[in-house]
Amino acid sequence: MQILIVEDDPVIRRELKVLLENADYQTTAPDAFEDVAEQVFLSNPDLVLLDVNLPRASGFDICTRIRERMEVPVIFLTSRTDSMDELTGILKGGDDYITKPYQAPILLARIGAVLKRTGRMQEKEKTLFTQKNVTLDILKCSLSYEGRVTELTKNEMKILHLLFLHAGEFVPRLDLIEELWENQIFIDDNTLSVHITRIREKLKGMGVSDFIETRRGMGYRI
Amino acid sequence: MTWQNFLKEKSLLLLLHLTCMGLLAGFLRLTDYNRADTALILIFWLAVLLIWLTAVFLERRKYFREAEQILEHVEQRYLLGELMPDSYHLEDRLYRDMLRRSNKSVLEQIRKMEEEQRDYREYIESWVHEVKAPITAIELLCENRRKEGEHFCTISVENQKIENYVDMALFYARSEEVYKDYLIRETNLEEIVYEVLKKNRLYLIQNQVRAEVDCGAMVYTDRKWIAFMLNQILLNSVKYKRESPVIVFRTERGKNGVVLLVEDNGVGIAAEEISRIFEKGFTGSNGREGQRSTGMGLYLCRRLCDKLGIGISASSEYGRGTTLRLEFPISHYIARK
Repeated sequence: MQILIVEDDPVIRRELKVLLENADYQTTAPDAFEDVAEQVFLSNPDLVLLDVNLPRASGFDICTRIRERMEVPVIFLTSRTDSMDELTGILKGGDDYITKPYQAPILLARIGAVLKRTGRMQEKEKTLFTQKNVTLDILKCSLSYEGRVTELTKNEMKILHLLFLHAGEFVPRLDLIEELWENQIFIDDNTLSVHITRIREKLKGMGVSDFIETRRGMGYRI
Repeated sequence: MTWQNFLKEKSLLLLLHLTCMGLLAGFLRLTDYNRADTALILIFWLAVLLIWLTAVFLERRKYFREAEQILEHVEQRYLLGELMPDSYHLEDRLYRDMLRRSNKSVLEQIRKMEEEQRDYREYIESWVHEVKAPITAIELLCENRRKEGEHFCTISVENQKIENYVDMALFYARSEEVYKDYLIRETNLEEIVYEVLKKNRLYLIQNQVRAEVDCGAMVYTDRKWIAFMLNQILLNSVKYKRESPVIVFRTERGKNGVVLLVEDNGVGIAAEEISRIFEKGFTGSNGREGQRSTGMGLYLCRRLCDKLGIGISASSEYGRGTTLRLEFPISHYIARK
């Protein structure tokens, strides 16, 4: 997935590049803005992150020029919070409009949403996970082991989902809580412990023990 | 203008006439003029004087009544000089000219101040936009280095506080002219609540906050302003928390629309203070004891709510928690659709 970053602030440009590359995107980030539209035509990216206030041109005009020839998704990044600007952005053919300061998870989520909506990312999310013979089924919201099945609550499912995604490594409690917050589950440390205990009880009911390892100061691992 | 005042004002003239009448009567007496004729002359004189005074009184009263009425009906009263009724009196015209000149200088002064205020507001707005670039840079720098140390997380949280104060300044500068800057859309309140919670997640997790969200309702409103208000309310709830804080966002269907409730289990607000929490600069006993408070957050919320036609109110049980209610009216136009 190739993303073109058009941003004139060098620090933001560099950090945005790092952030997106950490999230497994390939990026190009030009530092000249003479002919951005031309660069878009040449590099043919999957998505353009476009700053509205550029030294030589306005992002809106660039978007108009891109739209004359290409259907590539464009997300405007801007520090202006004006409603008129937002409307202009949408009317000029932008796919989303994100105001600075943006936070990494929110930015990534919205990039993902635009890519999905424009049909550039057709990756089907994995819904079945297996670890040590225990299978998590996201669609059915259940856990199974050797033919025995247990229902999970939404929160328990999300916690397990994250642990399965990081299978084999310790996930610090704080990271776990933060990721849960990013996934619409707003719990605190104590509540997490309660949920983990319940999950362990359910696992025990199916005859699985020591599935979730705890290490003090390190977090949980499956 | 009453007769009494008028006569009082004309007392010198009356005195002059009376003196002249007295002198004339004395002179005629000395020349042995017929007494009855003298009386007739004086009565006639008095009658002419009275008629003249009445005429002047009526004419003056009419003039001032007219001026008074103009003053009553015009919104910018300082424009009186331009609107004064015509008059053949020299004095009236002189006064009117003076008024006009004085008004002109007032207008110039007002124009100058308006211009200065507008310049200042525009500067604040552009300053806010510029300061957002470094805030973004710091945010990204911290995000990319989170694994390298805990202090990056702390910087990130502090950076968000800066962001909020900057937003407050921007929205304060703009709140006078909200009508220039909104985009009313069908809006899912849940999405905005999620966004606000996610944005503040580091700060909230640090404070061991738990949040519950149950807002299914759709409303017609501006996302940006609502997000700003929810942010202020949320930060207040965290600021005045007690042990194991829980914040609940939920919607209810009211009689005239949708009500969004934000309930916390914090320290609450004393009964005698609750009516004042939306006042500018009001910090209350909670704000003064320990926690820093500017008394601006809820004031801005109320101002924005007034402009957007949203009802805002608060209720609290001291020591148990606080509930803030935002009432989104359903317009009849939309309801009919």
